[in-house]
Amino acid sequence: MSALRTFGRLVLGILRELADENAYARHLARHGEAPSPAAWRRFTEERLREKYSRPKCC
Amino acid sequence: MRAALTPFVWIAVGALGAVALGVVATTRGEPINSIWLVAAAVCVYAIAFRFYAKFIAAKVMALDDRRATPAERLRNGHDFEPTNKWIVLGHHFAAIAGPGPLVGPTLAAQFGYLPGTIWLVFGAVLGGCVQDFVILFASMRRDGKSLGEMARDEIGPVGGLTALLTVLLIMVILLGVVALVVVNALRGSPWGTFTILATMPIAIFMGLYLRYWRPGKVLEVSLIGFVLVVASILGGQAVSESPALAPWFDYGAMALALGVIVYGFAASALPVWLLLAPRDYLSTFVKLGVVLLLGVGILFVQPTLELPAFTRFVDGTGPIFAGKIFPFCFITIACGAVSGFHSLISSGTTPKLIAREGHARQVGYGAMALESYVGIMALIAACALQPGVFFAVNSPEGVVGRTPEAAVATITAWGYPVTVEQMSTLATQVGETTLMHRTGGAPSLALGMAHIFSRVGGVERFIGFWYHFAIMFEALFILTIIDAGTRVGRFMLQDLLGHVYKPLGRTSWMPGVIGASAAIVGAWGYFLVQGVRDPLGGINSLWPLFGISNQLLAAVALCVATTILVKMHRWKYMWVTCAPLAWLVVVTYTASYQKIFSDAPRIGFLAQARALQASIDSSSVAAAQVPATRTLIFNNQLDAVLTGVFVVLVTLILADSIRVWVGILRGQREARVSEAPFVLTQLRAEDL
Repeated sequence: MSALRTFGRLVLGILRELADENAYARHLARHGEAPSPAAWRRFTEERLREKYSRPKCC
Repeated sequence: MRAALTPFVWIAVGALGAVALGVVATTRGEPINSIWLVAAAVCVYAIAFRFYAKFIAAKVMALDDRRATPAERLRNGHDFEPTNKWIVLGHHFAAIAGPGPLVGPTLAAQFGYLPGTIWLVFGAVLGGCVQDFVILFASMRRDGKSLGEMARDEIGPVGGLTALLTVLLIMVILLGVVALVVVNALRGSPWGTFTILATMPIAIFMGLYLRYWRPGKVLEVSLIGFVLVVASILGGQAVSESPALAPWFDYGAMALALGVIVYGFAASALPVWLLLAPRDYLSTFVKLGVVLLLGVGILFVQPTLELPAFTRFVDGTGPIFAGKIFPFCFITIACGAVSGFHSLISSGTTPKLIAREGHARQVGYGAMALESYVGIMALIAACALQPGVFFAVNSPEGVVGRTPEAAVATITAWGYPVTVEQMSTLATQVGETTLMHRTGGAPSLALGMAHIFSRVGGVERFIGFWYHFAIMFEALFILTIIDAGTRVGRFMLQDLLGHVYKPLGRTSWMPGVIGASAAIVGAWGYFLVQGVRDPLGGINSLWPLFGISNQLLAAVALCVATTILVKMHRWKYMWVTCAPLAWLVVVTYTASYQKIFSDAPRIGFLAQARALQASIDSSSVAAAQVPATRTLIFNNQLDAVLTGVFVVLVTLILADSIRVWVGILRGQREARVSEAPFVLTQLRAEDL
């Protein structure tokens, strides 16, 4: 049962990383901010600019 | 006890792999169950990962878990962040998995299942996985530098500029060819076109939802987006069955091509958060879900491979693309075996997330083995179709004949029986008017996947839904690649042009942005239109061009990797990167030579141009068709020149690399590596 829980946490961790939710949490922690529309906008401006300045794989 | 059993486990894995490979390689004249392919591939990956990758990690690169990675040293809570190795593996796999490992093996199935399987499995473990792993390691030791930066630092300025130009040209070809795959899948398909058009407002809704209503809730909105996309597939069926609505979504190839070009330009100018990013999230999750579903489906259904081990087209007369197994199988399957594009990902985000050097083996080598397995699954899905059906879907009109009667007669005469009624019934089952001449690989792959998925559910009448689900899945991430690729191409072009006229280099200067976007869209759009007009189906000329360019980029990456090994005084292990490099050079140079100079018009671009010119000269082309034929002649000449440019660029970087290696080996050159200095890690196991 605990192995299943660990696996579930891992899958959720991967999904949150792919969804940039982990990166957003790190961004909030780094800037000492609470989640807000303005914080999300600041985060996405930086994150997405970098993300889409690299080619996507074929 | 466990340690004592381990050797026996590996002996069992080796034995199973050997038996499975034996069955796959020696069965002739009777259908084979796909589970043998799965067993052979998985056992080879497991053994290669356990022994070869470990050898490379320990002896060749000497990974050191005591050494702090850039994720730890430069930790900024943003892009540099030590991350759990399984999460990095998932992230890296999602980044490298695109349409290539699905489409390439499907097209290469024209040779039969065996050539593609062997190249996918052994090409990956000896070439592709090694490339991804070594480049990831090199970038990790250099604070996450890109391939271009490493080429410049380790080889020289010529290497750096050549890498940049090669990537830009590959992007143009890639975008043109993947756009052609989508166009061929959607032409004359109101159901498919409606579904894909519906994904755009859905993505915009997701973007607005994230921006204004629930900021940061990406998983939540992706789930909503997925439900809406499934609803749009069901809506597409209703549209296709409505005599009033269907004509609104029924377009020919040229209209769709122009639509994709306009979309590419507009989407690359829209704010990223509005369309690209939300669709990218959705596409990533759908992609991973479908890959997982396909894996489970194949294990559950265990489809029989209907295509033989080798088809008659090993002689080079294949209808999908012309040319013999060597070299064309090895450039048709690029992603899935060896893909140069992966080196851009391995030297991008991933090295900035790795917490321990040892994790690079799982992430670099392991993720590529997974990608190769995706290619095996695509090959199984394609080979599970009746051979006659497979060739009827994938063969262009110019090869098999324009009418369904002519096409089935030609294909049946090849020894792969198929009837008009069979194709018509199949088209009706999946909600299409026809499935003939749908070149590009996507429709036949969707058909194979739909057969597997519908059998998992046990309800085969849902095959239409699953076919369009698979088309939606392929089109969704291809459109994301087009949008993102146009943007990146624009940045790269502006970067280059900025050296000529400074304002052009500013990504905020609107005339520069619009001009560079138009140039990039115009470039890939030209190849897309060329593919649509090509009587041989476009894939015959464009996919090999893409394969050659992608493999040449892999050669560039392996040049950089070898140079780094030489500079690390690991010359006795140079063969690890030199062997795949030598193979790729032989394959790509042979393929390039044949594509330029072969006397067979279906293979050689120049021979095709000469044949078309001869048909004009002998007046066998109607006067009204002369301008279009002249355009085809020019296109073939252009493709020949482009192939030549690729070869020259890679020859330059290869010669430059060999000059560096020889200089170091002779002691005439200093072997200075540009690694970041050693810093002892402070991370504890429980931090990871």
